[in-house]
Amino acid sequence: MVVFKLSSEIVLSTKGIVKEFPGVVALKGVDFDLRQSEIHSIVGQNGAGKSTLVKILSGVYTPTRGEIFVRGVRVRIRNVRDAKKLGITLVHQEATLVPNLSVAENIALALYGVRGTVFARAKEKELLELARNYLELVKLRIDPRSKVRDLGVGERQLVQIARAIAENADIICLDEPTSPLTSMEAKVLFEVMEELRKKGKSMVFITHRVEEVFQIANRVTVLRDGVKVFTEDVSKTSPYEVIKHMLGKELEEFYPPRVEAKSLSRVSPRLRVVSLTTASNGKGVKLEGVSFDVYPGEILGVVGLLGSGKTELGKALVGAQRVVSGEIYVNGVKATIKSPVDALKLGIFYIPEDRRREGLVTQLTISDNIVLPKVFKTSSMSLIRQAQVERSIAGRWIKSLRIVPSDPSFKVANLSGGNQQKVVIAKSLETGAKILILDEPTFGIDIGTKVEIRKLIRSLASEGYSIVLLTSDVDEALALSDRILVIASGRVTNVMENRNLSREILISMLGGQVG
Amino acid sequence: MVSTPRNLREILGAVTKYELGGPLLALALLVAASSALSPRFLEPYNQRILLLQTAPLALIALGESMIILMGSIDLSPGSTMALAGVVSAAAFRVYGFQLHASLAIGALVGLAVGAVNGLLVTKARIPSFVATLASLVAGRGLVLVLTEGQPIVGLSQYRVLTIELVGVPVMVWLFILFGAINYVLLKRTSVGLLTYAIGGNEEAVRYSGVRVDIVKLVNFSLAGGYYAIAGLMMNARLEVAYPWTGWGYELDAIASCVLGGIMLSGGVGNPLGPVVGAYMLTLLTNVLILLGVNPYLQWVVKGVVLVTAAVALTRGVRYVK
Repeated sequence: MVVFKLSSEIVLSTKGIVKEFPGVVALKGVDFDLRQSEIHSIVGQNGAGKSTLVKILSGVYTPTRGEIFVRGVRVRIRNVRDAKKLGITLVHQEATLVPNLSVAENIALALYGVRGTVFARAKEKELLELARNYLELVKLRIDPRSKVRDLGVGERQLVQIARAIAENADIICLDEPTSPLTSMEAKVLFEVMEELRKKGKSMVFITHRVEEVFQIANRVTVLRDGVKVFTEDVSKTSPYEVIKHMLGKELEEFYPPRVEAKSLSRVSPRLRVVSLTTASNGKGVKLEGVSFDVYPGEILGVVGLLGSGKTELGKALVGAQRVVSGEIYVNGVKATIKSPVDALKLGIFYIPEDRRREGLVTQLTISDNIVLPKVFKTSSMSLIRQAQVERSIAGRWIKSLRIVPSDPSFKVANLSGGNQQKVVIAKSLETGAKILILDEPTFGIDIGTKVEIRKLIRSLASEGYSIVLLTSDVDEALALSDRILVIASGRVTNVMENRNLSREILISMLGGQVG
Repeated sequence: MVSTPRNLREILGAVTKYELGGPLLALALLVAASSALSPRFLEPYNQRILLLQTAPLALIALGESMIILMGSIDLSPGSTMALAGVVSAAAFRVYGFQLHASLAIGALVGLAVGAVNGLLVTKARIPSFVATLASLVAGRGLVLVLTEGQPIVGLSQYRVLTIELVGVPVMVWLFILFGAINYVLLKRTSVGLLTYAIGGNEEAVRYSGVRVDIVKLVNFSLAGGYYAIAGLMMNARLEVAYPWTGWGYELDAIASCVLGGIMLSGGVGNPLGPVVGAYMLTLLTNVLILLGVNPYLQWVVKGVVLVTAAVALTRGVRYVK
């Protein structure tokens, strides 16, 4: 481990930052600080509040409560312009460059934005010279006249950083810059970051790859459920410790004891997946040769961290992700699944991680959402809706899943996260599908409801449903699964029976590449 | 003194909470203002004309609203109504079909244009704005080719649509009927639920294993049928099929939806909103004529009203595109 000589001056700090969104508290009072010439990494699971924090620092969001200090002075950052004037810039997760303009023009855009000289005359020669200088700083050897749309993702990240430097930023926040990059591209990015650090820039670096923290960062902060749980010099901690803090452990006592599935006879698989490979479309993870079986009454826990490809797997199984090769068999018969419609015909239903965007129509009622996939069947002549029938269907699920409030005509938008998830589960069960693919089913749900939903999943399995549980929560996988499959970078790295498996071993498998 | 404005706000709040509340309130104010400004406004003769003028616009607004509720947009109403009207008139006058058959042919033309729109959106995967823009242009072109730019005259038999039944013209009955049909369709049928759901969150509906494309196809076709009926109404009102009928009506149809409280982002709005909107838009023109306002200025007034309605609708929405 290299020992960095750090000056201890704090360039940026926050005190008790709270950010509330309608229905969720994303940050619950976070104290954070960034030193001069430091790369400070923030890690945490999906929804831990990493992005929210840097978006507050860079003026994209304004905090609900809390204070921000820049070099010891209390500041108010009301918008991106304010942040830029203070020298804080965010390099976004998705590139915020204009694809049809040249690299030089994109850099120039940033300058106009800061200096307010919208009508300044752009002399092409000067622009190109300027752009060349900044590109030099990020070690990007491309023609500044080339269009951004022709650049690779890695190059675009570097252009964004070049633009940040051009804006005179000395605090640069990078929101998951490495997630779309190959390891080679990430290496180049790290070199540039290190170079900038030596020049006195301070950086906040968000990542979900713990190993990267140990490659590049000086300090690491772990956020979990909107709370800062850990901050330490990288030289004084280990990947294992960081992952442990990311996952948390105070939930342990809430887990129902594993019920041994007595009747589980693994005679013929209900779902068989043979070397499934998906198309890489630049976004998301490409699955490569994923194979597994799921038997009736079985819960297969697919465990992987963010970016492991578990969501892509779930979507590929219902035809929402393009599959280039591999086969899926349902009850021994080869299946062609091109869309969720095909999947549902075969009794496969995917329950998405992002409930509000992919699971629910939030301005409709509980009842409307539950009957949605079946509305042609519940309507007379497939057309005229039967209010009575719909109400009784919804009422049954509201009762058995204990959805609160129990009024079927309540708008889904106003339900809590846990109850929204119950509505999605009710919808999936009402379709009659027997193979359920649950993607992070308890993500962002309060502890009480979390336990309820886990018990429900368990009881569905004992009723004979086959469940593929996609999760990044090691404890959830251990509490619920019959077998556990570990997935990383789109490949299956381990498959094992969930017997005498310890949490520590499973965690070390997740961070396997870290060593 | 203090409690009065609060009470007023509470009443307003209660009224606008109901989807149709806002548009109806605006309509009431508009009617009150109009009758105060022009004594002739409330005369039965004027009201009869007003309703006759509203009928075709109400029909195309109803069709348009189904598309907008799905989160799409349809620019073809004007051309579709012209094409249906002209083909029907040609069938009647040139090819000697019976009146009923000619009317049916007109309706079928509308359904066909709508189906083409639907196929372009679902199968060819063209955004609805572009697909229906193509229909707008090509449809009008077809009308001009068929008619060689000349009106088809001698449609006095189409008067069956303007004669009175229980004191009200058939056309007005028709728009009341189709308003009711549309209400039932959107609020009481499976297709209606899916229409609102697709407009609300198409992604979620697709993950639910629903055949979204079929719903879109059905809605585009039905909307085409509505536009055709509007075209036939124009034939009846003028007793001539003009090739330039419905020129620019797509904008009036969209405006009627906005005035009627249909959110352009899809998924929100009362099925009867477009009828209220169409009536308001027609009323506005009518009053401005009664007041003798420069006809060119009417466009400006309509624009201002539209912006006002849109501002009221999008209040609280974070971003608008």
